[in-house]
Amino acid sequence: MNWDFGPFPTFGGGPESNRIASKFDTFRMVATDEELVAKSMAGDLESFNQLVLRWERPIYALAYRVLGRDEDARDVAQETFLRAFRALPGFKGQAKFSSWLYRIALNLCRDWIRRKKRTPVVDMPEGVDIAELAAEQGPVESIEDLVARQEMSRIVAEGMKLLPEEQRTAIVLKEYHGLTFQEIAELQGCPLSTVKTRLYQGLSVLRKHLESQGMTSLNSGRAS
Amino acid sequence: MNDTIHIENETLVAYIYDEVDAPEKARVARHLQQCATCGAEYAALTGVRTVLQAWAPPHAGLGFTVVPRTEAEQSARVLRPAPWWNTVPVWAQAVAAILVLAVSAAVANIQVRSGADGFAVTTGWMSQSASARERTSELPRDPADLSAGASAKAEAAIGREGGAAATRAPVATASVTGAEDWKAALVSLEQQLRNEIRTSRSADAVVRTSSRPSADEATIRRVQELLAASEARQERQLALRLTQFNRDVNVQRQADLVRIQQLFGHSEGEISKQRQMLNYVMRASAPQQ
Repeated sequence: MNWDFGPFPTFGGGPESNRIASKFDTFRMVATDEELVAKSMAGDLESFNQLVLRWERPIYALAYRVLGRDEDARDVAQETFLRAFRALPGFKGQAKFSSWLYRIALNLCRDWIRRKKRTPVVDMPEGVDIAELAAEQGPVESIEDLVARQEMSRIVAEGMKLLPEEQRTAIVLKEYHGLTFQEIAELQGCPLSTVKTRLYQGLSVLRKHLESQGMTSLNSGRAS
Repeated sequence: MNDTIHIENETLVAYIYDEVDAPEKARVARHLQQCATCGAEYAALTGVRTVLQAWAPPHAGLGFTVVPRTEAEQSARVLRPAPWWNTVPVWAQAVAAILVLAVSAAVANIQVRSGADGFAVTTGWMSQSASARERTSELPRDPADLSAGASAKAEAAIGREGGAAATRAPVATASVTGAEDWKAALVSLEQQLRNEIRTSRSADAVVRTSSRPSADEATIRRVQELLAASEARQERQLALRLTQFNRDVNVQRQADLVRIQQLFGHSEGEISKQRQMLNYVMRASAPQQ
């Protein structure tokens, strides 16, 4: 157990990881992933459940953004932890636990896409009460801002759907999970330069989509 | 690098995500200030990144927990080595099956006969003695009849086979005496078997009567152990869930407190704004002096 109130161990610096980190910082008794993994390998189920609690949200968010469906993302997240639990005795610790989890989740997402043989369709959550959302967001965001943000979220989701799986995954890992180019390259099994190319091409496609939706502020003079 | 040679796409992406070394970063920054095209491209891609932050997944209540499987499930799903017969080649299995069938047929004394009545299949050793008995019953009891019958049968045999009549009659006589011996032997064997079965039953009853209490005790002890283990497991699970529940309640309570504070702050701000607005309206509506 680490009692020195050190920083929460995160994978990169993405918003998903930071949100969980701030939640755990409040308790100020944070065991590192490595410690929890060691205890889990020794048979401590509670330690593994702590790892699940720590990483379920980032893994779900990753699956949701790659697959685009809430139910499928839940299934993938659940299966990710099940596979991790079963394969834990074989985990050598050469990579970070989070990298290992991300790899399992991405493989599952890839299998899902191949099995279903269809492009991910982004379902916007149904039955969202704007007033309820506004209450959750607090007084810092007005109803108008919230509605505008929701609309923007929908446009982004539609744009992500236009991207090939490799570009979408690269953007999700970079933008929302804060992984480095090197980490993405290892997860995707491609050279570093390919990751940069995928990111550039993905961002360019998104930019065109956003411009087609009336976001003219993104215009530039350089041909991509 | 000047205005005609733009920044490479990969370099621009690395700069946008701040994954370039210091000299390269300075070089790109200088170029972006001088080159309007690259500057606009940089601004557009950065704008896309800003918009991307609006996309958030739904707030899903996940709460995954790994729970241990019960002993029954574990024993049902545990991987076991393949059965030994799965490792034997198919041809060897077929040979073994044929051998088993052949030995079984030999032991069962399967006989197939074809005659005027058609095919007849007989099995077992008892049937042979029964047929012998039948043959015996067919033979006349009187020695005179016996010799007559034997000679008659011998004649019939001569008619069919020819030349073998000299040996046929003594064989028939021998079969009669052999059948009598078989009968006596079978009766004595039956008696012996009955005695043995009776003896073994009584011995078995004694053994069972004497061993039953200890077996019951062991079963009761085993059931008690299982019950105790089950109770302990349930207690552990309950404690785990209580801890989880307590943790969730605390987190929720803290979040609620923060939200309430924010709402209060917001309300105060709104009231103050409204008060200012009212003051302004009253001042504006007041008659000019």
